[in-house]
Amino acid sequence: MNIIECRQLTKAYRGFKALDQFSCTIEENKLVGLVGRNGAGKTTLMKVLSGMLKETSGEVKVFSHRPFNSLLVSANSIFIDDQMNFPTALSLAEILEESSKFYEHWNEELAWHLFDYFGFHKKEYHKNLSKGKESTFNMIVGLAARCPLTIFDEPTTGMDAAVRKDFYRILLKDYLAYPRTILLSTHHLEEVEDQLEEVLLLNRGREVLHMSIEELREFAIGLKGKREVLAPYLADRQPIYTEAFGMDEEYIVTRNNLSQKEKQDMKREGIQFSGVSASDLCIYLTSSGSHKGGTLDDILN
Amino acid sequence: MILNTDGTMPIYLQIAAWIENEILNGGLAADEKVYSQYKLADMYNINPATAAKGLTKLAEEGILYDRRGIGKFVSSEAIKIIKDKRKNHTLKSMVEDLVQEAERLDMSEEELISLIKETKNRNKGGEE
Repeated sequence: MNIIECRQLTKAYRGFKALDQFSCTIEENKLVGLVGRNGAGKTTLMKVLSGMLKETSGEVKVFSHRPFNSLLVSANSIFIDDQMNFPTALSLAEILEESSKFYEHWNEELAWHLFDYFGFHKKEYHKNLSKGKESTFNMIVGLAARCPLTIFDEPTTGMDAAVRKDFYRILLKDYLAYPRTILLSTHHLEEVEDQLEEVLLLNRGREVLHMSIEELREFAIGLKGKREVLAPYLADRQPIYTEAFGMDEEYIVTRNNLSQKEKQDMKREGIQFSGVSASDLCIYLTSSGSHKGGTLDDILN
Repeated sequence: MILNTDGTMPIYLQIAAWIENEILNGGLAADEKVYSQYKLADMYNINPATAAKGLTKLAEEGILYDRRGIGKFVSSEAIKIIKDKRKNHTLKSMVEDLVQEAERLDMSEEELISLIKETKNRNKGGEE
């Protein structure tokens, strides 16, 4: 079953299209990573899905309903980012107590266990928390709510490395115990990719790719060797990324669809193969090379 | 086992290889139930779909068999299939690399074979 369906979805802010004819579907109980450069449209997409923003045109369905002004979507989803509007008069303990009244599947035990584990005090106030502690508290609310659609927008902002590691572990364990659809945006795919099932890559308001993490990891291959040795193999291939090495060597990233024979021939000619990590590939696929102004090297030279 | 996340070997293949090793060293016997995708996901901190892909691969190769609604079990042929597969694929490609490197170093066939024999004898000596 599809929990999320977008067709030709556009969201424009004063003419600037943050989402531009965006289409995608996300199935029930998947743990999906949303990646893309700054300004790619990740936050806008998440806010439209949770009903916080109204789409400009196109169609968006969450649980088969249009999310904007939908009580059904609102009751069954939670959106966590670093600008949570918790009532300033409530202490942390009171926020958790009140949250339990809003969310049908709220898990008291999980909330308080994590609250103690991360060393929060009941009488603290949200506005006095450090950036990392604030993110940690928000994460607790997002997980304990156990909403059928849980959306985290860069949940690890400000968290130290140990807390981030804990978060990914808790996220996976709670997902295994209580499967639900989770959408999580991140700039550190390499940290969380093992826990994800799918990756959705956005660029300039459009979907670049949407596939399983396993497919993404095997999507491309890196070739390294002398330029003139590589050249004949690349005649009818579109390189995803090219980097010059030394005087006459090159590193080329291309689709991983070489035949066994091609691979053997290349190996014999001294070309080295390497895997291309999911996070590197996402960077290569969304590099700003085609913006006017040339590459960074051009600017700096 | 600690998963190698540098991208040289897909995680689901590492999971499959780990189960194969468990079967080879007797940790999992024929007709014994193997870990579920959820148990593997928890053990290795990976998505259950990734773990399932490793299990499915082993089932397709006949190393595991499915009992509907109960889980996956080690087939009676498992050890034979794993050994055949590793001899015909893994070992073969290792030998290819070995021969290529020997050629690069201008080693003769005799030299290479005597090196293999030497290594094999030394390992035997170590076991006794």
